[in-house]
Amino acid sequence: MRVNDAVIGVVLVVFALAVIAYTRTFSAMPGQDYGPALFPVLIGIGFLVCGVVLIAGGVGQRKTVPLFSGGEWLRSRHHTIDFLAVIGGLIVYILISDWLGFIPTAFLLLFGWLVLFRGGKPASSAAIALIATLVVNYAFTQFLLVPLPLGLLRPILY
Amino acid sequence: MSPIEAAIWLVLDPYVLMVIMTSALFGLFVGCLPGLTATMAAALLVPITFFMEPVPAIAAIVTTVAMAIFAGDISGALLRIPGTPASAAYVEDAYKMTGKGQAELALGTCLVTSAIGGLFGAAVLAFSAPILAEFALQFSSEEYFWLACFGLSCAVFISTDAPVKGVVSLLIGLFIATVGIDVTAGYPRFTFGSVELMAGVSFIPAMIGMFAVSEILRYTTTISRPVEATHQAIVHIFRGLGSVLWRYKVNLFRGNVIGTAVGILPGAGADIGAWISYAVSKRFSKEPEKFGTGHVEGLVDAGAANNSALGGAWVPALVFGIPGDSITAIVIGVLYMKDMNPGPTVMLHAPELLYAVFITFFVANLLMLPLGYGAIRLSRQILRVRRAILMPIILLFCIVGAFAINNTVFGVGIILVLGILAFFMEENQIPIAPAILGIVLGPLLERSFMTAMIKGGGDLTHFFSRPIAAVLGVITLAIWAWVVVGWILRVVRSRRAPLGPEPAD
Repeated sequence: MRVNDAVIGVVLVVFALAVIAYTRTFSAMPGQDYGPALFPVLIGIGFLVCGVVLIAGGVGQRKTVPLFSGGEWLRSRHHTIDFLAVIGGLIVYILISDWLGFIPTAFLLLFGWLVLFRGGKPASSAAIALIATLVVNYAFTQFLLVPLPLGLLRPILY
Repeated sequence: MSPIEAAIWLVLDPYVLMVIMTSALFGLFVGCLPGLTATMAAALLVPITFFMEPVPAIAAIVTTVAMAIFAGDISGALLRIPGTPASAAYVEDAYKMTGKGQAELALGTCLVTSAIGGLFGAAVLAFSAPILAEFALQFSSEEYFWLACFGLSCAVFISTDAPVKGVVSLLIGLFIATVGIDVTAGYPRFTFGSVELMAGVSFIPAMIGMFAVSEILRYTTTISRPVEATHQAIVHIFRGLGSVLWRYKVNLFRGNVIGTAVGILPGAGADIGAWISYAVSKRFSKEPEKFGTGHVEGLVDAGAANNSALGGAWVPALVFGIPGDSITAIVIGVLYMKDMNPGPTVMLHAPELLYAVFITFFVANLLMLPLGYGAIRLSRQILRVRRAILMPIILLFCIVGAFAINNTVFGVGIILVLGILAFFMEENQIPIAPAILGIVLGPLLERSFMTAMIKGGGDLTHFFSRPIAAVLGVITLAIWAWVVVGWILRVVRSRRAPLGPEPAD
């Protein structure tokens, strides 16, 4: 997913201005010349300079480098879906793992990813997903003592 | 008991030895598989090392990475896909040697030069770190400020040929480091009322996101082509090796020295060490025209360089707390979490820990010969493992690892955001390493600046008031001046070029 440097530059300049504006709300350190706002402001100025340089360079090559060139994978539906499935799966985990519990969430996500990446094979994918989920669950809860969420399985596992 | 003796016992503990063996196998497996890098292996280990004592935790990372960097050569020679970026410099030669029926010699050379390189780097580390640490004990906040600046500058200018993008990456890292309670005044910055952001962006999820999740995203976007490993029998990998190493003994030594030196420089690690020593090898070779056609000479240089860089990278990490590459940046994060602030004081408080690191390096690189031989014999089976199965399991592991640090899904959010960020950065040729160094060194940079300013009453010349600080400061400023002036000259020249007279034929 390649974009022209000028696009990155514009994003950086906007971000830099937002950061610098936001640091105006920081309180100063009494009796000191330099407070908590100093480093964020310096970083903001750095972003601003880099952004301007990138815009200048990107505009210079606008004839050869398009504003946005997706790359081969974006034209392949299968690859785009795989990419979105990774991001979507992580979001799903954040939203439902606490309620549903680690074992069912992990199993469903693994099963989904395996079927997508392998292009089918639901039976063996289910078996792999189940084994991997149970092994990871056992390793982290028994050896590393991480309290993975029990969720809906709480009454059964307790 | 002397610290060295204590360190030997620490490493010879059966639990530590088991950790070393397991990590060695893990490292060989990960390194051998294309798409799984040595840095990713280290990032995946971090959540597990979080629950270990310091010595086994460090031993696990040292061993895994050493094995992974060697194992990257295996898929390079057999599939023409470097298993880790550190093997990319000489993948063409290694693969073409296989094409000529010399897979055994190629892999044997890679294995033995890797082990020798690793031992050389470890020896340099073991001899220089204690001496440098004694010197570094005199350092104060002024020196640390300049060291952090110097380290970050090197990271920007070595790791990329487009310095502006290196700076952008560095600033992204430094910005991430400012999130949370500010180090001197205790003011919450960029937390937007979130209690979880008050503690800052946790280091472990940040590493997992930038090195593991981004790799998985890249995997999903790779239009794969079917590759078939060679069917040559690979048994006698040491046959004819002695004469090759003897003929190229100068190359071997040069590769070791270049690799270690590049490793010591902050921000440049095994991959850059391999590229530079391969280029040097070609430049000084008697038969440079053979490079890239399946010639063993470059393999000797670069195969040794990438492994010796690993030891070199630990020198600034252990002595100053300034990481030499992304992997030692991860290590420094691990040490901080264990309340063992890396830097010269480790030499005073826990010298046995330092020696334990050295001993692990020697043990790991000696183990590399038998285990690496086994991995080469099994390579065809390892390369058959389907990445379509592996990647979802690694992703689940990332989730649990990120969760395990604070036991909240907040860590999963961090790996998601930073994973996407790192993916876009790499797609647009913005390097990741400077950002990682920024995250690790940001707090040190700000704290040492603030401390020095409170001591100096806000006078900026205070940074040059101590002799070592002044020297470090001048060097750092000179690097920046050199890069900026060079860049301006190039821009001016390229502006003028179209207006200039046409070159005569």
